[in-house]
Amino acid sequence: MSIAADRGAASPSAAPTWWIVCARELRDLWVGGKAMSMILLYTVLLGIYAYLFASNSELSLLPLKQMVLEIVKAAIFVGLFVCLIIGADSFSGERERATLEGLLLTPTSRRQIVVGKFLAALSPWPVALAVAIPYWVVLSKGDSSLGQALLWGPLVGTLLAPAFAGLGMLVSVWCNSNKTSMLVSVGLYLVLILPSQYSGLATVTVSSQMAERSNVFQLLNPMGASSRLLHDAIMGSAPVHQVWPWVTTPALFPVVVLAVLIAYVGPALQLEGGMKRMRTRTV
Amino acid sequence: MQSDHAGHTGAGTDVLVAEGLAKTYGPRHALRGLSFTLKSGRMLGFLGPNGAGKTTSIRILTTIMEPDAGHFTVDGISHKHPDQIRRRIGVLPESFGLPKQMTGIEYLTYFGQLYGRTASDAKAIGLRLMEEVGLKQRTRSLVSTYSHGMRQRIGIARALVNDPVVVFLDEPTIGLDPRGQQELLGLVQQIASDRGAGVILCSHLLSEVESVCDDVVILSSGEVVASGAVSEVIGRTEQNVIRIRVPTAAMEDAQRELEAIPAVRKVVPAGGQPGWLRVELDEGASEDHPINNRILETLIRADIPIVSFEPEGGRLQDVFLQLTAGGIK
Repeated sequence: MSIAADRGAASPSAAPTWWIVCARELRDLWVGGKAMSMILLYTVLLGIYAYLFASNSELSLLPLKQMVLEIVKAAIFVGLFVCLIIGADSFSGERERATLEGLLLTPTSRRQIVVGKFLAALSPWPVALAVAIPYWVVLSKGDSSLGQALLWGPLVGTLLAPAFAGLGMLVSVWCNSNKTSMLVSVGLYLVLILPSQYSGLATVTVSSQMAERSNVFQLLNPMGASSRLLHDAIMGSAPVHQVWPWVTTPALFPVVVLAVLIAYVGPALQLEGGMKRMRTRTV
Repeated sequence: MQSDHAGHTGAGTDVLVAEGLAKTYGPRHALRGLSFTLKSGRMLGFLGPNGAGKTTSIRILTTIMEPDAGHFTVDGISHKHPDQIRRRIGVLPESFGLPKQMTGIEYLTYFGQLYGRTASDAKAIGLRLMEEVGLKQRTRSLVSTYSHGMRQRIGIARALVNDPVVVFLDEPTIGLDPRGQQELLGLVQQIASDRGAGVILCSHLLSEVESVCDDVVILSSGEVVASGAVSEVIGRTEQNVIRIRVPTAAMEDAQRELEAIPAVRKVVPAGGQPGWLRVELDEGASEDHPINNRILETLIRADIPIVSFEPEGGRLQDVFLQLTAGGIK
């Protein structure tokens, strides 16, 4: 075996570098315990939600369908938060741990590094979904809303999880400090999720004109559109053709985020974060 | 271990050529016109005070950063092809982190794979490198359990996984005890001699650089203030000063006796150091070696004990201090 066989070319039988990066990231996340501890926390949180919803339902404070809707939304939104946080740690965390320079010094393309890390950041979502579904089944008590929950819940979550993992990574690429990356990501999360919760209230308390405006706003906000979709599907058992428009934004959101991440920001990944550096360098 | 590439890049060929590299951060010139050549099998000491532009230079030469002006080639490859250059260089950054969940061999295998090797090839090379850097017994230990010296060694092994033509070592001995420093520098010398790689060594340990490096580049405020073979650079500095240490009580007598010697221009106490005298000689007097004997003879005749006697300017440290006296601009 020659050490220096040919510096210019990779071995044809070597694994693609995005996969090597992804495998290492998965190991860091799951064996290192970060993803595992977040999923554990997620499970506990879902258990608390389930207990509260079930108690309210038993006291007839919450209709069964409403309870199913709330637990599905909670499972999805908290699952997305996990993906966002893991994405937000991807580059700024490596900067802080001084492990990014070693990675950037290899001939691996920046885009492959980004793809590998993105796939790893997405990995908590299927696990979160697997944890959540038994809760949905038990709490629905065989109600017809379970079918709608099992159809639309995983679809909405699977559309939004890449977007949130990607959003966290975008923030992380620009931030030198992990703390900043986390704070900005949580801020973005709140900006997306809070209006969606508020809009839901607005539709039932204000005039029809206001409700229409609120609908437009909800349609533009991926979280709002998702909430509305789940509401119409689970509470109203709306057929597919009626809820379909609400899928548009959750479907477009990941496309936009991933296009920006992989096509534009990824190749410009640098040792130091910041917009200015991003604009001035293309190595 | 003899590397396979010694022979591809012949001994003494130019493996790194930098010409007029410049970099500015806003109004501040971090680097101005850095030019030098590194030959295969040679070690080049890269020196400068903090803020002189060393890290910027290394980041440019390792393709982490682009220069604003100038160009460089590694093994004949232009800096316009950073991915190809990265295949030909190995880098030990000043501060580098290690993943918590990986063993030494897993760490090297991972990096070997990132250079396009199959897992089995990367592992075999990793094992050989761990043996080469003296970590054979710790291949299966988690890198997070390594001591500082072992971390530096695994960092050097990582820098060698692609059998580089040029190796950049940024402060490899920082934080090591004297024995650790000596062992690591021995390892670095071995890299240059056995592998035939050009080595760039950034260090603040000037005596070490003087003893192991063939060439030196000294930076100050982003500019090259000296470059060339170590002996040449040392020879260029002013050497007409001698430092003499005598008992504090005898300083005045010694000063009077020394000032009476014709070739001595001035004798003053060395600032802040009790017992030390700084003897400045006339131009060209230092080339007349008997002057040292005459100074010693004068002091001995006057019955003044000589505690220490050393010509100034004969060491890399003196050159460094003289050339970088301007500090950070």
